[in-house]
Amino acid sequence: MKKGILTLLVAGALVAGLATTVSADGESLRLVNGKIEVDAALKEAAAKYEEETGVHVEIESMGGGVNIQDELKKQYQGTGMPDIFVCGSDADFGNWDGLLADLSDCAWAADTDAGYVGTDGLVGFPYTTEAIGLAYNADLLEKAGIDPASITGPESMRAAFETLDSMKDELGLTAVIGWCTESQNLYWSTGSHSFANYLDAGLARDDTTYSDLLADGGQIDHDRFLAYAEMIALFNEYADKDSGFLTSGTYDQQILGFASGKYAFVTQGSWIGATMTTDDAEQYAEAGNFKVGMIPYAFEEGIDTILTNSPSWWAVFQNDNTDAAKAFLDWLASDEGQEILVMKGGFISPFKSCSFVAEDPFAETISSYTAAGKTSAWHWLKNKAGLDQNATGQLYQDFALGSIPDAESFTQAMTSVIADYYAS
Amino acid sequence: MNANTASRKLLSLICIIGGAALIIASLVLDVMGDGAPAYGFRGAMLVVGIVALLFGLYLFPTLKYHRRLIYIIFLFPLLFTFAVTVIIPLCLGIFYSFTDWTGIQYTQFVGFGNYISMFQDPQFIWSILITFVFVVINMILVNLIAFLLALLCTNGIKGDGFFRAAYFLPNLIGGIVLGYIWQFVFNNVLINLTKTSWLVQTPTAMTAIVVVYIWQYAGYIMLLYITGLTQVPKDVLEAAQIDGANARQTLFQVKIPMIASTFTICTFLTLTSAFKQFDVNLALTGGTGSVANFMGKYLTSGTQMLALNIYNTAVSKNNYALGQAKAVLFFIILACVSLIQVRISNAKEVEL
Repeated sequence: MKKGILTLLVAGALVAGLATTVSADGESLRLVNGKIEVDAALKEAAAKYEEETGVHVEIESMGGGVNIQDELKKQYQGTGMPDIFVCGSDADFGNWDGLLADLSDCAWAADTDAGYVGTDGLVGFPYTTEAIGLAYNADLLEKAGIDPASITGPESMRAAFETLDSMKDELGLTAVIGWCTESQNLYWSTGSHSFANYLDAGLARDDTTYSDLLADGGQIDHDRFLAYAEMIALFNEYADKDSGFLTSGTYDQQILGFASGKYAFVTQGSWIGATMTTDDAEQYAEAGNFKVGMIPYAFEEGIDTILTNSPSWWAVFQNDNTDAAKAFLDWLASDEGQEILVMKGGFISPFKSCSFVAEDPFAETISSYTAAGKTSAWHWLKNKAGLDQNATGQLYQDFALGSIPDAESFTQAMTSVIADYYAS
Repeated sequence: MNANTASRKLLSLICIIGGAALIIASLVLDVMGDGAPAYGFRGAMLVVGIVALLFGLYLFPTLKYHRRLIYIIFLFPLLFTFAVTVIIPLCLGIFYSFTDWTGIQYTQFVGFGNYISMFQDPQFIWSILITFVFVVINMILVNLIAFLLALLCTNGIKGDGFFRAAYFLPNLIGGIVLGYIWQFVFNNVLINLTKTSWLVQTPTAMTAIVVVYIWQYAGYIMLLYITGLTQVPKDVLEAAQIDGANARQTLFQVKIPMIASTFTICTFLTLTSAFKQFDVNLALTGGTGSVANFMGKYLTSGTQMLALNIYNTAVSKNNYALGQAKAVLFFIILACVSLIQVRISNAKEVEL
C-alpha cells in the first residue's frame, strides 16, 4: 500500500503542476506582431500602457520568413491563441472566420478608413501606412538634370533611364535601377508588390477591375499587362546585371545599394526608409543623406498614382480578454499611443486625427500624394494564397534571365501560369 | 499480494470506474468543447483519470491476470507516447485527407477528391519524378564517395584522424544552416566563375542540391564504412596476403563481401533520407526554378521535391487537406520502398 500512496502523491503533484500552468492568466494580453523591425517601439508602448493601466501586454514579434498564419494555427491547436494578432490578407482573415471580434464600436473606427472590413464586420486594426511607388534618389536625379515630375509615361521613363545610364560613371552609379528578381526570397517584391501595379496603378481607391478579373479564374487583361511587361523589360535592361544581382541578389543588398547612392531608382516601397536610417545609416550618411521621393510606375501614359495601404492589420481573437484587447487598441490609436508608434516606430499613421509625422525619408512623399488624392489602394491581398511564391515570382526571374525572351511571351506565360494556378 | 480484502477490491473498483469516467469526460470535453480555453483543465483531468485507472488495475484482486496487468502498466508510458506522437496523428492525417480541412476546421467530406486532384497536378508529378531521380543519383554517389573516403581514411595515411573529423563535420551542421551557407557560396562566390548563379536555372539548381547533399551526408556514411572496414578480421586479411592477393583482390574479394551488412545499412539510410530531403531543398532553392514545358504546362517550382511540395501545398498555398493527402501518399511510397529495400538486402546477405 505504501507504493500506492506514493503513486497517488506523485500523480497529485503532477496534476497540481498542470493546473497552475493552465490557470496562470489574470490581466495580461498577448500580441503577435508581424513587423519585427518595430518590436522595440511596440514593447515601449506596452510598458507605458502597463504603467498607466496595470495591464501587462506581452509583445511577440515574428518575422524573417516565419509563416505567421501557420504559427498561429499551431498555437490555436496547442498552447492557446494570442489576444491580438496580425492578419495580412483576405485568406488570413478567412482562416479565422467567426472567431474574430467586431471592432466597429471602438473609438478609432471613425477616425480611419484603412480598417479591414470582413464578413464579421470591422475586424482589422490598421497600424501603419505603407506606399509602393518607384522610389528615386532626388539628389542624383537633380544632378542628371531630370525632373521626376516629368516622368509621366513609358517614353519619358525610358528617356530618363537612358540619360542616367549614359552618366553612370559621372554619378557613381552601378546601375540605373535597383531591381532584383531573385525568386526564392524576393518573390513577394516582384510577384506581389510589382504585380500590384498591374492590378491597381492609376485606378481609384475602390476600383477593383483587374483584381476582380484575376479572381475570376485568374484572368489577365492582355493589353494592360503587355504595357506593364514593357516596363519590366526596361527595368531588366537597366538593372545591375553584370554582378548577377538582377537574378540572385538579396533584399539587404538592394536597400544598401540604394542607400549608398549606387542606384538612382529602387523597386521597393516606403518601408525601406526605416532600414536606410538605421541598419544602413552609415552608408546613407556617406552618400549625403540624399532626399528621396517616389514616382508612379507609369507604364501607361496617365498613370499618376502611387499605391498606399495598411500592409496588414491586427485582429482581436474572441475570448475573455476581448474587451481588454480593444481597450489597448483604443489606447494605441490615441495621441499617447500614436506618439510612440509614429515617433519611435516610424509608423505613418492611418488615423486622421494624428498630428505626429515620422522622421522617415518617405513620410513627406506619402503625405503629399495622399493630400493630392493621388493614391490607389492595393488589392493583391485578394490574390489566391501563395500566388507570388509558387507562380508569378519565378516568371519575373525567368524574364530577367532571358529564358522568357520578350514582353509578349512574358505576358503569355503569366496568363497561362496564373490561369493554371487558379484552376488547381 | 494475496490479501484480497474487500476494502482493497472496493478501492480498486472506485479507481477504475472513476478513472474511466474522468478519461471519457475529458475526451468528450475535448471533442465537444471546440478547444475553448474554459475547458483548459481537461488535460489534467485525462492524466488523473489515466493514473487512477492504472492504480485501480494494479490493485485489482486477481491472481490469474495480475502478471498481465503489471505488464500493461509497465508498457503503458511507451504505448501512450507512441500513440500520441505516431498513431493518433497518422490516423488524424488520413482522416483529414478526405475532408476540406483548412488547418483549423473542416466543413465537409470530399471523398477521394484530394487524391484525384493531386494526380492531375503536373507540378506534383514533376516533384515525384525529380525526387526519384534525386534518390537514385544520391544513393549511388553518396555511397560511392563515402566508401572511397572511408578507404582513404583507413589506409593509414598521415593525419587520418583529422580527415575523418573534417569529412564528418558538415553533418553536424543542420540542413537549414547548410543550405543558407551554400546559397551564399553559389550566389556570391561561385558566381564569379559561373556568371549567373547555379541556383537560378532548374538543372544547375538540382545539381547544386545534389552537391550540397553529398557534402553533408557523405561524411556520415563514411564513418559507418570506416567502422565496417576496421572490423574486418585481421587474420582473414593476413591469409589473403599469404595467398598472394594484391590490393585490388583484397578489396573486392575479401573486404567488400565481409562488410556486406554495412552496405545494406548505408544504402537503406541514404535511400530513405534522400527521399525525405527537405531542409537543404527549402533553404538552398526553396523549390524555385522553372520548367518550360512539362505535360503541356509551364512549371514554376522546378526544384521542388516531394517533401517540400507537401509543405508548400499546406503552408504556402493554404491547402492543408490536399497537403495531407499528398503526405499519405508519401508515407505509402516510403513504406513500400523501405520494405522492398530491406527484403532485397536481407536475401543478398544470406547468399554471401
